[in-house]
Amino acid sequence: MTLEAAEALKGAIALIGYGLAAIGPGIGIGIIAGSAIEAMARQPEAAGLARTTMFLGIAFTEALALIGFVLFFIA
Amino acid sequence: MELILASASCDPSVDIICAPENVNELFEFREAMFYIGTFPITRTVFLILGITVIVSALLFFGLRKKAVVPSKFQAAVEALILFVRDGIAIEIIGEHGAKYTPWLLSVFLFVFIGNLYEVTPFVNFPVTSRMALPVFLAAITWMVFIFAGIKRQGYRYFVGIIWPTTVPIFLRPLVGLIEFFSILLLRPLTLAIRLFANMVAGHLMLTLLLVSGWIFISSVGEIGARAGIGIAWFIMGLGIYLFEIVVIILQAYIFTLLSAVYVQTSLYPDH
Repeated sequence: MTLEAAEALKGAIALIGYGLAAIGPGIGIGIIAGSAIEAMARQPEAAGLARTTMFLGIAFTEALALIGFVLFFIA
Repeated sequence: MELILASASCDPSVDIICAPENVNELFEFREAMFYIGTFPITRTVFLILGITVIVSALLFFGLRKKAVVPSKFQAAVEALILFVRDGIAIEIIGEHGAKYTPWLLSVFLFVFIGNLYEVTPFVNFPVTSRMALPVFLAAITWMVFIFAGIKRQGYRYFVGIIWPTTVPIFLRPLVGLIEFFSILLLRPLTLAIRLFANMVAGHLMLTLLLVSGWIFISSVGEIGARAGIGIAWFIMGLGIYLFEIVVIILQAYIFTLLSAVYVQTSLYPDH
């Protein structure tokens, strides 16, 4: 592949990279939210704690997808 | 077109598909609106100064009278402060966390109003989507949690990071290295990128859907019935608009929550 062709395809490759970066966090956030719903259903009195912890877990997991999103623009 | 503030170089009368040269055009406003002395005030700086005025006015007028039976506005402001104090500072940091309330409240309100510009009509630009602002806020959080750790544990704060005594001894160099990078580098970086990327994504989605919908609808005379696709895009843009309001509140909450969590882990590393 010539350098010009690679340059022309740069946006498309970056897009695929972003898509790959979104797979893992997508699965992770699903697991976190599912577990939090299960915890809230089993112990409704601990719902507040489960919700705060769920947001924390989502925030940490989501960061990976967002780094992929930022790299898509940098590329 | 002026209201949604799309790219200025996009002329819809020339071509249906008009792409701005660079996505930065949606986020950069280089012309100065006016000057204070020789200091140019661009749109972004003006909006940041606006946050300060709005937050100060909210707290000043909300808490001016301090009535025993509060007015509705005072009750709302007090509920907001209690949410930050009890729901974030005390619940996350612990009993001694109440003294971090002023900082956490400032961060929460600043990020919240800055994000809220995204869905404010006639503004439609979240200032937190400029990387400088989240990085600055994350740097303040970084300094606060490191100073909190040094103040409580002294030099043992850094020793505890690079030589954690709770793991087996042959794993300590590896865990210490990971912890060192994670706490001192990745924490502020991800804190800033999380807010920045969420706001950039929201602003891009809103602008693309609403502007392209508007371009299609406004060119109904040239392309006839095909302009109907613009209505679908506009409706989808309004759906994302509602979704973005949730994201705005959640991101301000998460930024404050994570700041509190970082302070808590430097104060009480064992829990």
